[in-house]
Amino acid sequence: MKIVIAGAGEVGTHLAKMLSNEEQDIIVIDKDEKKLYNLDNYNLMTMQGSALSLDQLKSIQVGEADIFIAVTPHETINVIACSMAKSLGCKKAVARVDNYEFMKPASKKFFASYGINTLIYPEYLAALEVQTAMQHTWARNWFEMLDGKLVIAGVKVRDNARIVGHKLKDLVGISSFMHVNAIKRNREIIIPGGNDEVMHNDIIYVATTPRNIDDVIAICGKEKHVVESVLIMGGNEIARLLAKLICNKYKVKIMHNNMEQCQEMADELPDCNVVYYETGDTDVLEDEGVEDYDVFVALGDSSESNILSCVMAKEIGMRKTIAQVENLQFFNEAESLNIGTIINKKLIASSTIFQMMIDADTENSKSLALADAEVAELEVGAGAKVTKSKVKDLRLSSDMTIAGLVRNGEGLLVTGDTQLQAGDRVVVFCLAGAIHKIEKMFG
Amino acid sequence: MHMMMQHRTFSQTINFPMVLRVVGWLLMIEAFFMLAPLLVALIYREEWIAIHFGIAVVVTFLAGLFMNYRIKPKSKAMRKREGLLLTATVWVFFSLFGMIPFLLSGTVSGFTDGFFETMSGFTTTGASVIIDVEELPRGILFWRSMMQWIGGMGIILFTLAVLPMLNYKGGVSLFNSEVTGITHERMRPRVSQTAKSLWMIYIVFTVVLALLLGFGPMGWYDAICHTMSTVSTGGFSTKNNGLHHWHDYYTDIVIMIFMLVCGINFGIIYKVAVQRRFSAIKHSDTLKWYLSIVLVGSIVVFARIAYMSFVDTWHYGAILATFDTISAITSTGFATYDYEHEGQFIFFFLMLLMIFGGMAGSTAGGAKIDRLVVLLKNVKNEMYKVVHSSAVKAVRLDGKSIPHMMVEKILAFLSVYMVVMVVVAVILTLFGMPAFDALFNSLSAISNIGFGYGEMTGGFDKFANLNPICKWLLAFEMLVGRLEVFTVLAILTPGFWKRD
Repeated sequence: MKIVIAGAGEVGTHLAKMLSNEEQDIIVIDKDEKKLYNLDNYNLMTMQGSALSLDQLKSIQVGEADIFIAVTPHETINVIACSMAKSLGCKKAVARVDNYEFMKPASKKFFASYGINTLIYPEYLAALEVQTAMQHTWARNWFEMLDGKLVIAGVKVRDNARIVGHKLKDLVGISSFMHVNAIKRNREIIIPGGNDEVMHNDIIYVATTPRNIDDVIAICGKEKHVVESVLIMGGNEIARLLAKLICNKYKVKIMHNNMEQCQEMADELPDCNVVYYETGDTDVLEDEGVEDYDVFVALGDSSESNILSCVMAKEIGMRKTIAQVENLQFFNEAESLNIGTIINKKLIASSTIFQMMIDADTENSKSLALADAEVAELEVGAGAKVTKSKVKDLRLSSDMTIAGLVRNGEGLLVTGDTQLQAGDRVVVFCLAGAIHKIEKMFG
Repeated sequence: MHMMMQHRTFSQTINFPMVLRVVGWLLMIEAFFMLAPLLVALIYREEWIAIHFGIAVVVTFLAGLFMNYRIKPKSKAMRKREGLLLTATVWVFFSLFGMIPFLLSGTVSGFTDGFFETMSGFTTTGASVIIDVEELPRGILFWRSMMQWIGGMGIILFTLAVLPMLNYKGGVSLFNSEVTGITHERMRPRVSQTAKSLWMIYIVFTVVLALLLGFGPMGWYDAICHTMSTVSTGGFSTKNNGLHHWHDYYTDIVIMIFMLVCGINFGIIYKVAVQRRFSAIKHSDTLKWYLSIVLVGSIVVFARIAYMSFVDTWHYGAILATFDTISAITSTGFATYDYEHEGQFIFFFLMLLMIFGGMAGSTAGGAKIDRLVVLLKNVKNEMYKVVHSSAVKAVRLDGKSIPHMMVEKILAFLSVYMVVMVVVAVILTLFGMPAFDALFNSLSAISNIGFGYGEMTGGFDKFANLNPICKWLLAFEMLVGRLEVFTVLAILTPGFWKRD
């Protein structure tokens, strides 16, 4: 698949690196040659130039591209570049925007008339993800797939959980309410078989249906909490969007270390308390009664301080902590610490692109990216390889598993005896670098 | 069913097993290449030579197979160090196994000569220790030419093009260390595709030239051998006095044109021939420099030839002048006419062109014109700054400004290039070689040209009479030159092996 990425910023660079491991043909365009040097050792092609130059777009044969992704810092450039690429004949175009209004369904038609298939607004999607995480405090990750008929949850399990210490095949009846897709242990992800065992401190990714959630919570040794108050640290775009989303549901306090931005937020967000604090001032934490809040969200610009303050918040006794970690090197580190949920806007952006790669129907499908795995939903094609035999006889490659499916409007879990049919919508869990294999199996 | 994530290792321990395993793969490819001279030997009924090649094929293949199956690396990680090490050692391994037929058939007198000859072949230098090539069997001569053809575009590049195994992140650093030039431009999104395109262009050139020469006076066998020597800008010939043997304008001109074309950046050729973007020619400063230097060089050499009346007719002089200029600048080093006793000037002048070399991203050797253009432009800026001390200037190439970092790297490259050349020359004088001869031969080796000069070498193009130490030194210098200095020299620095 030929993919052109305009803009080698954070999101563009991340996408390019990830996709180059997926055996795709990648071309990255940026005005700034220095940014392209970072990609010199990756299996892709770079071009210094403007995404708005018709000549340059033609010279890399954008017309033959399957996906054109515009992720420069300027949304106007992104929109126009997509429109140009589309007019040159590329199949799909994605533009990054930073305007909430554009995301509304009403805007869709307008952008479609410009040739833009999908808009991504990473900050907004990140805010939504934080909001979801708050509603399910017991899980580290919570994703509703297939219109909510199937749930994928990442749960950290400890000694007290019933699931720990047994081989999966010995846990009788477990397959009726959940399917363990993957186990993350010490920086390694395992797609487990029946002989694998869940151990203390593993993060397990389970698929389940909404009505079985209580069983999952029980076997994982978790409890539900009701969240009433949220403390947000940071004043970036995600923080503001999040505050807007949740200020009517919870008591929200925002703490930030920039006076000017605090004032702006106070103007914008009448329902939230905004507090200015100086970095390193612990008195203000006491004064503001940090301990009394249920959820702590660290959205500062530095991944390190987000991680650290979450660890501190947990020590103080807050139930749920959420940290924004943009630095992917720290991702595994942060996951092994006691931090509830980690969000990363680059991963959120890349999940959209992965979805476009594997499925034509992006309108209704969802996919999500974890640090080193992806979950995607797609429809099984007629005559696809996976419909030929039962799941256990499919000899799926060891880096993927089928998490669940929707057939006739009903969400079902997958076991070895499940037989997939054409027209099923399935959720596939696969490790990074394997997503290009999916199409061969299911298409 | 366990699956490990692509494990990131943060250790600086060099992954030798993995390097050796890949070398094993590449050796099996070499064995496959050796089937061609085997076939030639069979066609010309040289049974013994065919047997020698048969032994070489089996030994090389088994060695490769053994390395591939018996070495089990714990991790598949190939990072910078492994990449550099692999690129450098592959050429040595290829030479070691490539000389088996030479040794078995008694073509060369010993290990030293064998290594020199094969290294000279693979690095497309074209310097030879064999005085009388005409008495050699055809299979051997064919392999000699073919080594250059393989090395011209690159061993690793070939592997990248045909085997998927190097087509991952680690393969990119291999690509960067084997392809010549400053920026290692990629023409297509994936390294394997770029490698394929480069090899396709190369193969098309080879086929076209072979046809053109084959219908000339040479005969098919010599045509194919010379084709492989020409497109790789190598310079091995099947005759003792090279192309002079035929004394034919048609052959000279055809070869001249192909040498010239193969000295052009293949990226430009790809853009023009495949993508039909003719503006690529217009935008390339380096191409203009290259062609201008060839033109001016030819005129100067021609003027000297005419003035000194080296040859009888003016048209023969013109052909000789152009041919030798192109042969020198593209680092081919085909011998046509022996000026040795009459024209020191021409040699000295050609030596200057040899330093220039062809364009980056071509099959030519030398320091590459791109770098010299940057050097000259930088010098010009510095001169300007002598007067305007606070001026801020940029070095521009092909309409783009070159970052400072890159200019520094180029200057470092050129300094190291010169230092290596001079140091080797000094050592050569230790063994009794006159100073000019030593400089010339050293430059000839590092620029992969293959001209030899002076009484000690044993004739033009020949290095037979040298001391063995000199031969090893020159062979080493050829590899340094082919992999553009840093790859090999970096491995020789303690910093490469230290963990810090």
